[in-house]
Amino acid sequence: MSTGPKGGGGPLVAWSAIMVALGVMLAIWTTGSTTALLFLLGPALLIPLAAFSRLRPAPGGPRLLARVSVPVVVIAIGAALAAIGVTGGLWLVLVGAEVGAFGLVWLVVEITGERRRAGR
Amino acid sequence: MTWLAATDHKKTAAKVGVASIFFFLLSGLLALTMRAELAQPGLQFVSDHTYDELFTMHGSGMIYLFLTPAALGLGLYLVPLQVGAAEIAAPRLALFGFWLYLLGGLTMYSGFLTNNGAGDATWTATIPLSNSSGTPGVGMDLWVIGVALAVLGSLLIAITILLTIMRLRAPGMTMLRLPVFTWTMLATTFMVVASFPVLVVAMGLLIAERHIGGVFTGSTGSVAYQHLFWFYGHPVVYVMFFPFVGAVGEAVATFSRKRFFGYRALVVSLLFFTALSMAVWGHHMFITGAVKNQYYSLTSTLLAVPAGIEYLDLIGTMIGGALVFRAPMLFALGFIAQFLIGGLTGIIVASPPLDYHVNGSYFIVAHFHYTLFAGSLFGLLAGVHYWFPKATGAMLRERLAKASFWVLALGANVTFFPMFFLGYDGMPRRVADYEPRLGDLNLLSSIGAGVIAIGVVMVLVNLVASLRRKEPAGDDPWGAQTLEWWTTSPPPRDNFEAPLPAINSPAPLLDLREREEEARERRVEVPV
Repeated sequence: MSTGPKGGGGPLVAWSAIMVALGVMLAIWTTGSTTALLFLLGPALLIPLAAFSRLRPAPGGPRLLARVSVPVVVIAIGAALAAIGVTGGLWLVLVGAEVGAFGLVWLVVEITGERRRAGR
Repeated sequence: MTWLAATDHKKTAAKVGVASIFFFLLSGLLALTMRAELAQPGLQFVSDHTYDELFTMHGSGMIYLFLTPAALGLGLYLVPLQVGAAEIAAPRLALFGFWLYLLGGLTMYSGFLTNNGAGDATWTATIPLSNSSGTPGVGMDLWVIGVALAVLGSLLIAITILLTIMRLRAPGMTMLRLPVFTWTMLATTFMVVASFPVLVVAMGLLIAERHIGGVFTGSTGSVAYQHLFWFYGHPVVYVMFFPFVGAVGEAVATFSRKRFFGYRALVVSLLFFTALSMAVWGHHMFITGAVKNQYYSLTSTLLAVPAGIEYLDLIGTMIGGALVFRAPMLFALGFIAQFLIGGLTGIIVASPPLDYHVNGSYFIVAHFHYTLFAGSLFGLLAGVHYWFPKATGAMLRERLAKASFWVLALGANVTFFPMFFLGYDGMPRRVADYEPRLGDLNLLSSIGAGVIAIGVVMVLVNLVASLRRKEPAGDDPWGAQTLEWWTTSPPPRDNFEAPLPAINSPAPLLDLREREEEARERRVEVPV
């Protein structure tokens, strides 16, 4: 069912154009340029997404994908623990990093296995 | 564990839904405690410090942990179905986003278990109130880290929705054939991708300020923080609005038995609306004197134009339609009527001289509760009542649903309307005590909060009872127009088992019914 349409970038470009117009208006109206720059950063992040979609359409057909992905949960828990470590102490940052690294390796193994099965 | 780690977008969305309901109830309990305290002047139940924690965690919970994720969760469930995709783009990223959001929420609330209590520097954590001398303690740190995690999680979920719309549409599903709800989700994800990273950065800088210092110093530091915060803080209001406009639009078209009126005007207005909503953040800073008030006043007032177009489209869809007043339609109408009050009072605060008068008062509290509670929550409930049969295969109890609508509508207006008068009469927001002359309206408002609680319980009872004793819904109980109603209820793992119908408009199922009707008429006309 998924055949990788190409037209998705149009609204993004249109929206970004409006944003640029509003940002330029802000830059003209205000003396400092920081706020206008902040404003223009928004669409700047989206334009590469539109280009990516245009240049690399999604492959058609259903994908072979794990129905359950425990490593993703493990990585998230590791990331959260590491973040809380900012206030909890270095030990927690290290525990979080370790859990996250373990999850990452597990995820790589999972994805490699998936691709091997898809190649058969 | 299987369900908690499932990559299917419908299961991830269900997890987001359950978590957001949990945080809604938690944050709602805090609101009830506040209204109990405010029922009479003087301090009754909580101290000033506890009250600070209550309103901070109530606002934070509702915005970061309930309405924003609920809006994105609705999109996560429905967008792949509406565009005819077998799955969401990057399912693991969506799952990762959910877990970051959940863990972020739990981190925020875990502050209550610390010595100094939870974060109490308001949901905006304005500097210098939120720095290490303004709000010392681990609780505020946990609040900052929790917000960063939760917002990052929401951002990742939004990216998967955006990629799905751009990359996984079914053959024939051009951008101008996207359903109304999907268009509103697309507009929402633009804002999320453009503004949410700024808050994650702001929270990173805030934690650095609290632990190292020297990041947001002096009055310029405070203004710089406000710029960063409100660059996220205003668009997020629309993130909590657009998806529900889409949900209401779908319900209104279905229950008016008509195509959505002014589809292309809606698309253009959405693009302008989202861009303008990114350009109004400075109106939260009128009173600082550090922003160009004219610019932000102009852009804020201009918001009324695309908003007016959307209202025109919704009302135009109903005009001449065969209206059916089922529960989703009632909630949709409640959204339209009540959000209007929030929107119109928004024009008042878009004007700097009027904003100077009401800023920091209960007028503002009334304004944003009309947009977010009486507006967005009713829109969300319209969506929940509309799509519940699709997601579960069961119908909700119609009488209970209608009764809960009326109770919630009564409660919302009794709670929030008096706040306009309280604010105009000078009652400041974020205080546990007030002048005795304001007692009657505060009591009325507190009674209203109790009525809302009854309404919420009725909705929850309906959800649970309808799931426990199922009344089968069938694939399309409403006679709807969009692709999600083509598949079974609930949809299978890969969304569609039967081939999709031809997609020639934003309402392919309506096209199909009309073609069948025409064919039937032709058969009748031809003599045998």
